[in-house]
Amino acid sequence: MKNAIQLNPKDMINAVLLFFVIHTTQVGVGIQGFQRIVYQDAKHDAWISVLLAGLATHIIAFIMIKTLEMYSSDDLYGIHQDVFGKWIGNFLNCIYLIYCIAAFFTILKNYIEVIQTWVFQNVNTWLLTATLLLLIIYAVTGGLRVIVGLSFFSFIFSLWLFPMLIYPLEFTGNSSLFPILESNMAGILKGAQSMTFTIIGFELLNVVYPFVKEKKKVKKHVHLGLLMTTITYLCFMLVSLTYFSEGQLNKTIWATLSLFNIIKFPFIERFEYLAICFWMLLILPNLCLYLWAAYRGVIRMVNISLNKVVWIIAFLTFLSSQVIQTRTEINKFNDYFAHVAFYIVFVYPIFLYAMAVLKKKFSSKKEHV
Amino acid sequence: MFNKSFKLSPSKKKTTENGNKDKTQEKEASESTIPSSSIAFVQAIKDATHHPADLIVKSIPTKLTIVYIDNLVNGQTLSDHIIKDLYKNTNEIPETIKSQLSIPEVKLSSELNQAVSAMLNGTVLIHTEGYTQVVLANISTRESRGLQPPENESQVIGSQVGFNESLSTNVSLIRRFIMNADLCHESFTLGEQTNTSISLLYIKDIASEEMVNTLRQRINDLTVDALLDSSVLSEMIDDNSLSPFPQMLLTERPDRFCEGLLNGKLGIIVDGSSMAIVCPQSFIEFFQSREDQNLRWPIASFLRLLRFSAVFLSVFLTPLYVAALTFHYEVIPQSLLVPLSESRSLVPFPPIVEALLLELIIELLREAGARLPTKIGQTIGIVGGIVIGTAAVQAGITSNILIIIVALSALASFTTPSYMMGNVIRVIRFPIIILAGFWGFYGIMLAFCFLLTHVIRLSSLGSPYTAPFYPPRWIDWRDSIIRLPIPFTFSRPKSTRAKHRKKYEPEPIKPEKKLN
Repeated sequence: MKNAIQLNPKDMINAVLLFFVIHTTQVGVGIQGFQRIVYQDAKHDAWISVLLAGLATHIIAFIMIKTLEMYSSDDLYGIHQDVFGKWIGNFLNCIYLIYCIAAFFTILKNYIEVIQTWVFQNVNTWLLTATLLLLIIYAVTGGLRVIVGLSFFSFIFSLWLFPMLIYPLEFTGNSSLFPILESNMAGILKGAQSMTFTIIGFELLNVVYPFVKEKKKVKKHVHLGLLMTTITYLCFMLVSLTYFSEGQLNKTIWATLSLFNIIKFPFIERFEYLAICFWMLLILPNLCLYLWAAYRGVIRMVNISLNKVVWIIAFLTFLSSQVIQTRTEINKFNDYFAHVAFYIVFVYPIFLYAMAVLKKKFSSKKEHV
Repeated sequence: MFNKSFKLSPSKKKTTENGNKDKTQEKEASESTIPSSSIAFVQAIKDATHHPADLIVKSIPTKLTIVYIDNLVNGQTLSDHIIKDLYKNTNEIPETIKSQLSIPEVKLSSELNQAVSAMLNGTVLIHTEGYTQVVLANISTRESRGLQPPENESQVIGSQVGFNESLSTNVSLIRRFIMNADLCHESFTLGEQTNTSISLLYIKDIASEEMVNTLRQRINDLTVDALLDSSVLSEMIDDNSLSPFPQMLLTERPDRFCEGLLNGKLGIIVDGSSMAIVCPQSFIEFFQSREDQNLRWPIASFLRLLRFSAVFLSVFLTPLYVAALTFHYEVIPQSLLVPLSESRSLVPFPPIVEALLLELIIELLREAGARLPTKIGQTIGIVGGIVIGTAAVQAGITSNILIIIVALSALASFTTPSYMMGNVIRVIRFPIIILAGFWGFYGIMLAFCFLLTHVIRLSSLGSPYTAPFYPPRWIDWRDSIIRLPIPFTFSRPKSTRAKHRKKYEPEPIKPEKKLN
């Protein structure tokens, strides 16, 4: 293919690492409070919504890999240019690029909001934003190898959070899960759609794909990563559904953090304080990968260095983070973003696959003639 | 687009090196020949070395003159094997002298420069009146200290010999451990003023060619004025010289050095320095001691885990104290909060000042202990530790609990088996304490993420610093923060890109050996 990316084998990553990349980009700020959003639609069958959403990610990932496999070593931006031609392709690339920056912005904003609400009421937003952005700039300028490394360590270092779910288990009663399938199907499906904001991230495979060494193993590790995420979300959802009462869950914005509230050690109480600060490590690979994906889009259109792109985007993010400040504004932005993301992540790949197949048939016919 | 530090060969000052070559060539052209008359020869030598007081010139009838520098040559050999022989000898042609001297290393030279530099290395020059050739008889002797146990990397079990300052002794120590024809020994000279000899050692059959070439290139590209210690060299040829983390191991243990070579690493020994360089070295390997191989595996694994947790403790314990007491009282359980606030009730400072003060005192004690003679050092330790510690608490400047925490983190930082790495751990604590004082747990986490990113960005001789964890090399995990039994650890670390990954073909494991 004409747009194929030529890469030095040293810059490439092992397929095994895709597991960590996919899992850590999915798990981020969303997990702190996805329970309420899904619960509002699907009630106590919310866990079925989680399962459905997980299933959807598998299907979409399957289609995405199919599309990518048609081009031996190319990313979404190159495929756009190939399928739709230069102008429309670049227009679509712009949209995707803006989507990546928006995702970057949303994650950053949400995390800072959590910090300000739970830990530091008085620290300025700009200070938190600036420190986080500096950290991200330092990581992203190291290149994909460093970002994937962060994903890997973020996964390893946060494994200990999982057993923490045992503490709230003591106070759960599984009666609140029954009767199963009480809410109607529409509600459950709507709940699954509400999972969008929490479960996205795996679409970055579109950009990372050319950098993977063993293309044949991509499928296995991507699906394993998705499975791991689905299991994680399912566990958190089940524990939350059984731990909180109906009214409580409707009011709790960050249910996961409230779950951690109960955890007590002989030397530590109010565990969520630690957890929230620790969450930085969980969102870091998220942020870095989105920023990096945006950079990959930019260099498709303009010849510019990584450092410049990163600094420019960081600066823009910093400025716009000063605009959106209050809870309602953030919530609104999240909703908008989730809406758009749903179409970009879950609907668009199917369309793109169809287009790519058509294009291939068309061009192969031409060659025959 | 990718990590810059992954470049294998940094280009350092190539142009200056070429310039120097030109200069030396000019010099050689003008004054390179050896005069045929003895008087002119002695004068030329004296001029070249600026009339040193320890230059000895001795005439031997009828036509011979010998020139050498006192104390650089072995006096016994000089009188027994050179002067005696020369007196007996009647044939005074340089060729014959060369073949008749009963000394292993004898050469002929007709270049003055070569003769002078050989003389500075402990060679006796034998000049015959009327000839433009001179005999170089190498009988050099070097004052060096005897072999002593390594002081900075002491070990309970295992070899108790350490490197000393003599290059030849050190190389011979390594040859004792590795009696192998594949052990390559390349020699370099660095330092325009000092002309220090450097040896690059590796095992041809194991070490990766590419790495050897890279390292050779880096050494050749260096232009330095003087080289007095290997630590300076290691900093100059590191992948990232600006990082606080050392990317090459400095060790004074021959067995640790040889272990590296056997794993496919490269070693550098600098003359006059008792520390040898081993590279590439990953972050985790700095915390592994050679002794871990000598102990039974469960014990070794336990000790390793202890050491790694000590590092975390040492870096994060004081900052956690500062963060918790400044911002997050809620995190501390009631039962612990009471004794904490009781002990802090008299302290007039905020926790960050208190912590910085005490950490500084500990660092002062440590620095004083390192500079003072051993006997006084111990006394200072006792005076500092007990007197200052107790008095500080009684005076109400610090709390008891902080003293415990600071002492614990200081103790923990000593467990690192590499002094260079121990120093890093001791220093990076301070910025983290300050961040914790400003932004609590958020600050600590920020520092942790920065450190993590930094460590991931680093590389050692082109191989990742975080190996074997990232990129994950599962087989190497067997010998990382734990050590599995020897039958399981049959492979060399992948980060050295050794030619043969396996040390031997693993056999099926037999847990118990029965007597026949």
